[in-house]
Amino acid sequence: MMNRTTLLALGAALILLSSVSVSHAQSIDLNGYVRSYTGVLTNEQNDYSIIQNTLDLRMSRSSGKIALLANPYIYQYPNRDLDIGLREAYMDIYFANMDLRIGKQQIIWGKADGVFITDIISPKDLSEFLLRDFEEIRVGVTALKADYYLADNTLEFVWIPTFTPTLMPDNTSIWSRVPEFSLPVVYDYSLSEIPGRLENSEVFLKFSGMSSLLDYELMAGSMWDDDPTIHVDPIMEVGNPQPVGLTLTPQHHRLSLVGGSFSTELAGAVVRGEAAYYMGKQFGANNVRGLPTDVLEKDYLHYLVGTDFSVGSTNFSAQFIQMLVLDYEESILQDEQDNMITFLAYQTFLQETLMANLFAYVGLNNKDALIRPTVTYDFADGFEVLAGANVFIAGDDEVESGYFGYYDDNDMVYLKVKYSF
Amino acid sequence: MKRIVMAVMLIALFSGQLMATDITGLQVIQNVDNRPTGDDMQGDLKMTLVNSRGETRVRDIKQFTRDFGDVEKKIMFFMSPADVRNTSFMSWSYDDESKSDDQWIYLPALKRVKRISSDSNSDYFMGSDFTYDDLGDRHPSEDRHEILRTEEVDGRTVYVVESVPKDEDYMYSRTVTWVFADTWVGYKKEYYDEDDDLLKILTVEEQEDHDGIIVLTRTKMTHVQKNQHTVMSFSNVTLNQGIDEGKFTERIMRRGL
Repeated sequence: MMNRTTLLALGAALILLSSVSVSHAQSIDLNGYVRSYTGVLTNEQNDYSIIQNTLDLRMSRSSGKIALLANPYIYQYPNRDLDIGLREAYMDIYFANMDLRIGKQQIIWGKADGVFITDIISPKDLSEFLLRDFEEIRVGVTALKADYYLADNTLEFVWIPTFTPTLMPDNTSIWSRVPEFSLPVVYDYSLSEIPGRLENSEVFLKFSGMSSLLDYELMAGSMWDDDPTIHVDPIMEVGNPQPVGLTLTPQHHRLSLVGGSFSTELAGAVVRGEAAYYMGKQFGANNVRGLPTDVLEKDYLHYLVGTDFSVGSTNFSAQFIQMLVLDYEESILQDEQDNMITFLAYQTFLQETLMANLFAYVGLNNKDALIRPTVTYDFADGFEVLAGANVFIAGDDEVESGYFGYYDDNDMVYLKVKYSF
Repeated sequence: MKRIVMAVMLIALFSGQLMATDITGLQVIQNVDNRPTGDDMQGDLKMTLVNSRGETRVRDIKQFTRDFGDVEKKIMFFMSPADVRNTSFMSWSYDDESKSDDQWIYLPALKRVKRISSDSNSDYFMGSDFTYDDLGDRHPSEDRHEILRTEEVDGRTVYVVESVPKDEDYMYSRTVTWVFADTWVGYKKEYYDEDDDLLKILTVEEQEDHDGIIVLTRTKMTHVQKNQHTVMSFSNVTLNQGIDEGKFTERIMRRGL
């Protein structure tokens, strides 16, 4: 969100930029896109799920050993203040065998599509659940990234001085997911912030390689859990042995992980795998009286296997993902195993001006799903119209509707008109 | 005089037969394959796609290739249109015919380098009428070659060679290539589909001589069945500039030019 001062500052910056662009047209590269996005719920009222206009600018300049990039964006919604921000703003410094990137940046690791296993450096923007485009679902982090190159191998070090959590939808959003308790709840956000101190930094290390036989990544990290653990405390009253309510205190905890990923070609198909072992995750659990007031620290394993292949002119991709809590205890609220598959099929027509795409997440625990068919047509170079649907399917279990099934009432159709320049 | 003419004609006919029988179809295609292309090459590629309604779309690419002996590495940077800008594509093609090409694509929206299957060689490159395989180096040993006939074009002898893939599942049932005998440069190629119907015709419209190395600078692929075509123009071509090995790495795919 923004105020008038911010808007004026941005306007002045853009005017300044445009004048700089004219005077240094050969060295400043300006591109981006304008997009109009309208979604309608398929409920009886046909409520709008979203009406959004976007301006996304990428300003870059490269002069040999130094490169700069700034990626401001503006989201405009009816009857709301403009949402203005910087997706990325960084400088690159190139040495003979090393690159440094300093500033706000999106850092993407791993080989998984649409799933976050070792890809945990840039937190997620879940304000529209998982529906945002790839670039928009990542939150840029202020970081120092150093890459040292040795032939086709790379050693990458990332230092993030301050913690950025997952961005969650606000309480009025159709994507807000409020935990359900049998007692009234009160939120205490006093512990939800991580103070900006050196000791609260996050650090990551990755060694990766690319060869004819195999592409691989090995990684390790010490980080904060992007998703807070909700600590639950009973509210007691004098003279009443039963709690009259619950205090919910979201709190981020330190996590460590080691992991890796690979991709290779086998019999004409690309085979991919990715795994991470997380240490020190705090899981919510029930106490002996059945109240969810306990927190248990457990390690867990998160992995996937996947393949990309084509049949005729249609391309397919499938992934199986499992999250496995180790040394599991029955009182933990989360399932011991959480299994999911993803499926992608797409085909292009008419010199790649028309593309049909089908992507689906299927939760195997609760038999819920999110199915995302889209059709994209490029009317001209850089100008595309995308029509799509998001269909949420709830599982059989009425109590546990599942990660996707929870949004069973949010089925929608939408249209995106985008011009890239 | 008639006897002399007859004798010349007989000699010409006989020599023509000699030419046709002295060399095999495989040797013609091997000569084309072995034609010097330089140790490395770079240039600007412009693809103009024209559909059946005559509507035109243009894709601009910067391309770098280098021959490392047993492997040829190629990297392409997509400059336009805007929605594919900063995408890059890299391929490593091996002399060892038992080894499939390795291919990767960097998608700036995903900020990831993805390995893609060499099975995608039958896919059309950026919506053009060229498949990835059409743009790559196909090993002569992957097909059975036969000289169908010789022709005269502008006073030059041309071999017309039919190539039938040994792999029955290959996307073309056969190709027919016209090759100049004096330079081993092909100037036309026909592609036939699985029903043996003519699918596409490749013609060489312009070429440049760089110190004895012939570079095809303008080719046209006509998709006969779809009534559309793609013109591929190569400009600002430079050869043997000593392109650094580090150009063909993930680092440069991500960084771009």
